[in-house]
This record gives sequence, structure tokens and C-alpha cells, in this order.
Amino acid sequence: MKTSIIYENIKLNDNTNIIKFPCNEKIEPGQFIMAWVPGINEIPLSFSGLNDLKEITIKIYGKASEHIAHLKKGDTVFFRGPYGKPFENTAGKKLLIGAGTGIASLVPLIDKNAYGVLSGKTGNDIVFQDRFEKKSIVTDDGSYGKKGYAVDALKDMDISEFDMIYACGPEIMLKSVMDYMVNINDRAQFSLERPMKCGIGICDSCSINGYQVCTDGPVFSLKQLMGMSEFGSTRLNYSGKRIKI
Amino acid sequence: MNLEVDLGIKISNPFILASGILDENGYTIKKILESGAGAAVTKSIGMEERRGYEPPVVYENDPVFINAIGLSNPGIDNFGEEIKIALAAKKPVIGSVFGKTVEEFSLIARKMEQYGASAVELNLSCPHVNGYGMEIGSDPDLVNEIVSEVKSKINIPVYSKLSPNTSDIVEEAKAAEKSDALVLINTVKAMAIDIKAKKPVLSNIYGGMSGKAIKPVGIRYVYEIKRELNKKIIGVGGIENINDAVEYMMAGASAVQIGTVVYKYGKNIFNKMNNDLVNYMIDNNIDNIDELTGVALK
Ligand SMILES: Cc1cc2nc3c(=O)[nH]c(=O)nc-3n(C[C@H](O)[C@H](O)[C@H](O)COP(=O)(O)OP(=O)(O)OC[C@H]3O[C@@H](n4cnc5c(N)ncnc54)[C@H](O)[C@@H]3O)c2cc1C
Ligand SMILES: Cc1cc2nc3c(=O)[nH]c(=O)nc-3n(C[C@H](O)[C@H](O)[C@H](O)COP(=O)(O)O)c2cc1C
Ligand code: FES
Repeated sequence: MKTSIIYENIKLNDNTNIIKFPCNEKIEPGQFIMAWVPGINEIPLSFSGLNDLKEITIKIYGKASEHIAHLKKGDTVFFRGPYGKPFENTAGKKLLIGAGTGIASLVPLIDKNAYGVLSGKTGNDIVFQDRFEKKSIVTDDGSYGKKGYAVDALKDMDISEFDMIYACGPEIMLKSVMDYMVNINDRAQFSLERPMKCGIGICDSCSINGYQVCTDGPVFSLKQLMGMSEFGSTRLNYSGKRIKI
Repeated sequence: MNLEVDLGIKISNPFILASGILDENGYTIKKILESGAGAAVTKSIGMEERRGYEPPVVYENDPVFINAIGLSNPGIDNFGEEIKIALAAKKPVIGSVFGKTVEEFSLIARKMEQYGASAVELNLSCPHVNGYGMEIGSDPDLVNEIVSEVKSKINIPVYSKLSPNTSDIVEEAKAAEKSDALVLINTVKAMAIDIKAKKPVLSNIYGGMSGKAIKPVGIRYVYEIKRELNKKIIGVGGIENINDAVEYMMAGASAVQIGTVVYKYGKNIFNKMNNDLVNYMIDNNIDNIDELTGVALK
């Protein structure tokens, strides 16, 4: 396993932290690592910052994410990677659509031409809003920003004016965004999350229509996703049983 | 030129996807068959849905590869749909079966046949219910009983996959003699410790080693069993290129399975193997792939 020493841990809200650590690997936006908590688990995490210090934003779901989110300055982080196909960072006007912590992996793409659509269940799920000059915020319960889903925010704007659209979040949200994108041609890239065990394309747990999210993705073009019948419809659970999304 | 092999069913070329590698989701199996594999073996399927071990489930340090997936699988009742999806590629799908008892092996094999599997492969490396850390394959009487029972209940070929982690693999092979072919070898027991964490890497501590590093072990067993039994053998373990495959055939294999290397070179390894085999046969004046089997024994 590779290791690095935590330089800083910043608490974003009650269940989300940013850890910063030095790392010389060449890492591109959208790529991820398999972070190992010895004796507990190993989980995929993507990068929210790729400067001299690398940054990961972690939302606490279970034991492994809790452990990593609470690593302190001087603690060791163990990992494999980076893995996966990155976003293609293009010039021009960008639209970045993120649900909850999904926005984290889009943060390295922010520049002066970026417009953000940030969505969440409640206001507490909205993070990194300060990094965007231009943005729309929507929440399911209306506790912050407008009430609605990410796709509702898109309906209020002219998405055809963007040169590239980037999205990251739960598959169901990505599917609804994709279904809304008529006439966008291939000007969109989506980052998918499916359960991962190996991270290197051997176990089949993350697969979608024959593609492995860990190696062929996690970033897929709109065109690739349009040909995938499993997208937003079914996936395998941790044991390998097909379930509805 | 003839690349077709006869394993009780006809397979258009000798390169088969090994069990447990990208073969849990029907769409992935289909894609691998479309990428040139002659046939594909499914992930080993048991009676009930099983989660398997928590990650880390793999340790990768080329040429060493160790896995401990822990026989995670959806359970046989949930696997029919995946086979159906895979069969759309119109190539043989071989159902890998594991069980705790003779009855379980038999029942799962029958379901595989109903689902349309072209053959079944019995994974005899699964844990023995009564043995501490012992594998079913270490109990020749049980192996014989499982193979006889499954053979009597289904009409598709039955292959037995043997484990090198037994005291006497020849005895195990003899016990499985009623099978239509023997599949050699499953992974070799191994482990890795991370010296910075001072802990075993795999959550299960122990795993099975595969990949390039185990090829000489596989070659030895294929050679030894071919010499002792003269049964049809499918060789597996560490095949990365055409020379490795030819080596297995010369040791006695009629066909080979390819697993770990798929993560290194991608699914297209199967197309590449086919092209390289054709060139090898042209260069060496071989018309029929059968001519290669066991030449090192002669
Ligand atoms: C390519 C990729 C990149 C990722 N990048 C990040 C990242 O940058 N930051 C981040 O915080 N997470 C990220 N994730 C998700 C992260 O890997 C999971 O949250 C983590 O595996 C949870 O592990 P755990 O052991 O803490 O919780 P578990 O014990 O696995 O889960 C506890 C409970 O929470 C649920 N749960 C777990 N993860 C999620 C989820 N993502 N969404 C909804 N419910 C969930 C589980 O179903 C379970 O009920 C990424 C996932 C992928 C596939
Ligand atoms: C990740 C992984 C999972 C495996 N799962 C199974 C399995 O479920 N059943 C089985 O019989 N063999 C399983 N195997 C063993 C392979 O089928 C094969 O026998 C072994 O890996 C040697 O071949 P290779 O070096 O080409 O991978 C697995 C191997 C790997 C690497
Ligand atoms: S996580 Fe194993 S194939 Fe993607």
C-alpha cells in the first residue's frame, strides 16, 4: 500500500470532513483511490483538490468513512491508486452539477467559466457553495436554495449555452439529468458510483453493461451512457444479485 | 486451420474465461465472449446469496496477485437472468458450482443446466463443512460421490476444477475421473502483510494466489496428471500470452482458461490470443490445435 501523512483535517459540517495530505502521484480530476483502514475496510474516494496538497472530502456513512474522516494531522493514510478514467477538462463555459458530496470531485474543475448546480436532500448536504461565483442551489425539502431536484434547476436555465457539462451524484439523479439533455450531443461527462471491491477491473462488482466503472469509468461520456440499458435501472448488489436502482 | 476444441461441447477456440474474473454480471460475460473468448466460466455459484469478504479482497504486486473474494455470489436462484443475458453472445457459458454437500452440488448443477449453461464446472476448492480449513478436494471419497451424482443428474458435460492446496492432487484427480475434463489449477493459498501497517492486507488474512507467478505450478500439475490419467485437461494459472498457452498445451491441456491477466491487458487479450495462436500455428506448420496437446509428454 502507498502511504501519506495527513497534513490537515477540516470539518465541513457534522458529517463531512476534508483531509489534506502531500502526494507526488499524478492524479487527474475524477480519478479515485482505494483508501484502506487496516482491520476495517477499503473504500473508493475521489479528490476534491489536486494542488501540492491533495484533498479528499469524506461524508461519513459507516465505519471506514468515519475512520478516514477523523484522521488527524500526523496520522497515516493508506491507499492504492490513483485509478480510473478522469474527466476531460475542456476549455469554454462549463456547467458542474453535483448532488451532495458528489460536487467534491468536480471542485478541481472550477474556473472562472464555471457555473455550479448544487443539490442535496437538505441544506446540510450542500458543500463547496463558496467556491462558485455563479451557481444555483436546490434542496429536496427547500431548506436551502430553491425546493426541487438538480434537474429542476436545469429547467430554469439554458443548458445549450455550455461547452461541456459535468455531473456527479447518485445514479438516479444522473439518469434524470441525462434524460433532460436533448440536443447536448456528446457535450457531457458523468461520473458514476457503483459498489467497488477491487478497484482494478477484476471482480465485476461495479460493472454496467460490460463496462467496469473502476477502470472504464468512473467518468463516462453522455454518448456511452445512452447505450447502457443498466444505467439508472439495475445494478448488482454486494453479493452479486441484480437489484433495481 | 482448425482452432476448435472438443470438451464434450465444441468450443470455437481454446481460450476460456476463468471462473471469478469479470463473470458475475451477465453483460460483462457477454462482452468477454464478444471479445474473442471461446467460452466463459461463470463466477462460482452456491445455494444461497453470500456477501463474501469485505475489502481489501485483492492484493496486487505484479507478478503476484492474491484474492480473497470469499465466494460472494447471488445464490443459484438469482443467477438465471445473468446466464440468459450472457448467452445472447451465442457462445458456451459454463456454470461454476460450489456447495457444502453432494446434494447442493447436484441441485445447483441441475439449475445451471435449466438456465441454459453448456457445461458445469465443479469448484472442489470450497471449504469442507467438517474439515477445519480443509477443502472438499482433500476428501477423495466425497469428490467421487459429488462427481458421480452430478454426472448422473445432468446431460451436459461436467468438469472438475482441482485445487493445488491438497496433499495429493493425483488422488484428487483420480477421484474425479468420471468428469468429462479436469480443470487445473485453482489458486494457491497465500498471504501478504503490509509492513508499514504491520497487518495482513486482505481482510480475510489468507487468500489465493494467481497470475504469472503460479504458472510453473500449474504446468507441473497439468503434466503430472496428464501422464497419470490421460484425461482431457483444461489448463489454468498465470497465462499471459500465447507462449504460456502453448506451454500448457504441450504439458497436456486441450484448452486453457485465462483469468488474472484480464485486469492487466483488458478483455481484448482474448482477441489477441486468437491472432497470436493463428500466427503460431502458421509458423510451426500446425493445422489442428489438437496436435499440440501433450507433445512434451511424448
Ligand atoms: C468512484 C467512487 C468515488 C467516491 N468518492 C467519494 C468521495 O470523494 N467522498 C465520499 O464521501 N464518498 C465517496 N464515495 C463513496 C464512498 O466510497 C462510500 O461512502 C464509502 O464506501 C462508505 O463506506 P463505509 O464503510 O464508511 O460505509 P458502509 O458501512 O459501506 O455504509 C454504511 C451505510 O451507508 C450507506 N452508504 C454507503 N455509501 C453510500 C453512498 N455513497 N451513498 C448513499 N449511501 C451510502 C450504505 O448502504 C450503508 O447502509 C465514492 C464512491 C465511488 C464508487
Ligand atoms: C479475483 C478472483 C476470483 C476468483 N474466483 C474463483 C471462483 O469463484 N471459482 C473458482 O473456481 N476459481 C476462482 N478463481 C481462480 C481462477 O479461476 C483461476 O483458477 C486462477 O486465478 C488461476 O488462473 P489465472 O492465473 O489466469 O488467474 C478466482 C481468481 C481470481 C483472481
Ligand atoms: S471494483 Fe472490481 S471490477 Fe470494478
